[in-house]
Amino acid sequence: MPETFDSRPRFDTVLIANRGEIATRIQKACRALGLKTVVVYSEADRQAPYGRTADSALCIGPSSAAKSYLNKDALLLAARLTGAGAIHPGYGFLSENAAFADAVEKAGLAFIGPSASSIEAMGDKISAKRAMIAAGVPCVPGPDTALVDDPAAIERLALEIGYPVIIKAAGGGGGRGMRLVPEAGLLQEAVALTREEAQQAFGSPSLYMEKFLQHPRHIEIQVLCDTHGNAVWLGHRDCSMQRRHQKVVEEAPAPGISPDVIGSVGRACVEACRQIGYQGVGTFEFLYEDGAFYFIEMNTRLQVEHPVTEMTSGIDIVQAQIKVAQGDPLDLAQADVKCEGHAFECRINAEDPDTFLPSAGIITALTLPEGPGIRVDTHIHPGYKVPPYYDSLIAKLIVHAPTRAEAMARMREALAGTRVDGISTNIPFLRALFEDSAFARGETDIHYLEQWLKQRRAP
Amino acid sequence: MSAIDFSDPTTIALLTDALTAAGVSGLEISRPGGQLRIVVATGEEAQINVSSTAQPVSAPPPVVVKAPMAGHFCSGSSSRSVAADRLPRSVSAADVLGFLRVGPILLPLCAGRSGILTRQLAEPDTLVGFGDRLFEIEPQS
Repeated sequence: MPETFDSRPRFDTVLIANRGEIATRIQKACRALGLKTVVVYSEADRQAPYGRTADSALCIGPSSAAKSYLNKDALLLAARLTGAGAIHPGYGFLSENAAFADAVEKAGLAFIGPSASSIEAMGDKISAKRAMIAAGVPCVPGPDTALVDDPAAIERLALEIGYPVIIKAAGGGGGRGMRLVPEAGLLQEAVALTREEAQQAFGSPSLYMEKFLQHPRHIEIQVLCDTHGNAVWLGHRDCSMQRRHQKVVEEAPAPGISPDVIGSVGRACVEACRQIGYQGVGTFEFLYEDGAFYFIEMNTRLQVEHPVTEMTSGIDIVQAQIKVAQGDPLDLAQADVKCEGHAFECRINAEDPDTFLPSAGIITALTLPEGPGIRVDTHIHPGYKVPPYYDSLIAKLIVHAPTRAEAMARMREALAGTRVDGISTNIPFLRALFEDSAFARGETDIHYLEQWLKQRRAP
Repeated sequence: MSAIDFSDPTTIALLTDALTAAGVSGLEISRPGGQLRIVVATGEEAQINVSSTAQPVSAPPPVVVKAPMAGHFCSGSSSRSVAADRLPRSVSAADVLGFLRVGPILLPLCAGRSGILTRQLAEPDTLVGFGDRLFEIEPQS
């Protein structure tokens, strides 16, 4: 007998608790679904174009993110004043804040994302690892328990795993709160420093230890789960091109990995979602080395790089996410997911292409590329003032083509046709990167970009 | 290196933005030719005071009373026309010019300084956001 569910929509108005390109992207998805939008903004974003195209727009605080986009009370008040029935957190800011998700639900609103308990469970890297091991997801060698205080026991554990090891904060993530230990003599100091840092930065001194992989790639698996126990994975991405743990270029699918190998990992991710009762979209992040996958963390939100998966799968991930929050069952099964062609995304940042220092100011002229297989997600326009207070991402340039080589060629063409005047951007750096032969061959690990930059700077 | 012109409104606006963003409550810069003092009020509304010993002081610019948070704006009187009829009028710093209705709470909006209340800038019963302009006052020295 088919499952019955309440088909009445839970909400007709979505408050977008974010800014910039993702606010524009969410607004577009809401409009396609016939939903009204409320845009909230800080004083620095008062002139942002997505405010003018929303059904309602409200300033919630000063420029400081702490007093606006991270201000839970101001966001909930804005939802109440405007009659919004749901809050979409986008990425960053409060998107992975369990307390905020809980407050939203307690206020009688829908949080467009997983439950607070899922966010909390995956936010603790030790409990996340434990859940993944239980579901058969491959993890980095190392125990799924926190490090004890006993120095001798810590030394024994490091020897068992084998040097080099990495010490990580249980509450960390995104490259923060971790320290590499190449040899035994440096272990105790590294543990003490990381414990102090973890307490300061994440409010918990809990640490864990794993094997440090020397030349891994960063591979992600995108999942989509509804509230009725259905879950699918939408293919994989390679996000190895990173600078200081920040992704610069992403692509889908990850080159050179056989469908059989990745297929078993994708199925394990789906099984993990079912076991933990996960709802909404999520991303499993893995290190990949010598043909093996090692789970590192799960991101319980929409990713910046979701468009490359949309381009290859043909599925609008933001719309799907909203439909799940409405209580709709998934309208596709795993067999319906067909990933075709190859996609790249370049993050266009307002920053100096050599020093990477942020570059705020007014965009005096703008040319964006157009054409088949080219997509630009952005909120900027000529005359737009890039504020100095937030992340420097101003646009995402996305291309899709039948093969990886054709997609690279299309990205070169798209980058050549992109011009942003009045501020500095990383476009010259991206153009040079897409001429690199190792990148073209798909042989680059997560350390490659740093080394490439070092070589470019060398006299 | 050229000296920064602290009487330039653009410079003052940039400094005010930076102070507000950093959560700093105030700044005072003294130079032989004058003094700039920016005080960020508790309601997040910046008060700017520029004095110069080099030039005669002209009429001070109008001060705008802004919304300290999001809410529904209620003017001091029951209708816009009555309020408009009573303008301009003298007000003191403690005078309540209107209210912000946030759920069951009415938050008083004080003039903050004495002067002539010349304009009401928001329609009664409209939803206003943080920093939206509500009243204009011409300060009296």
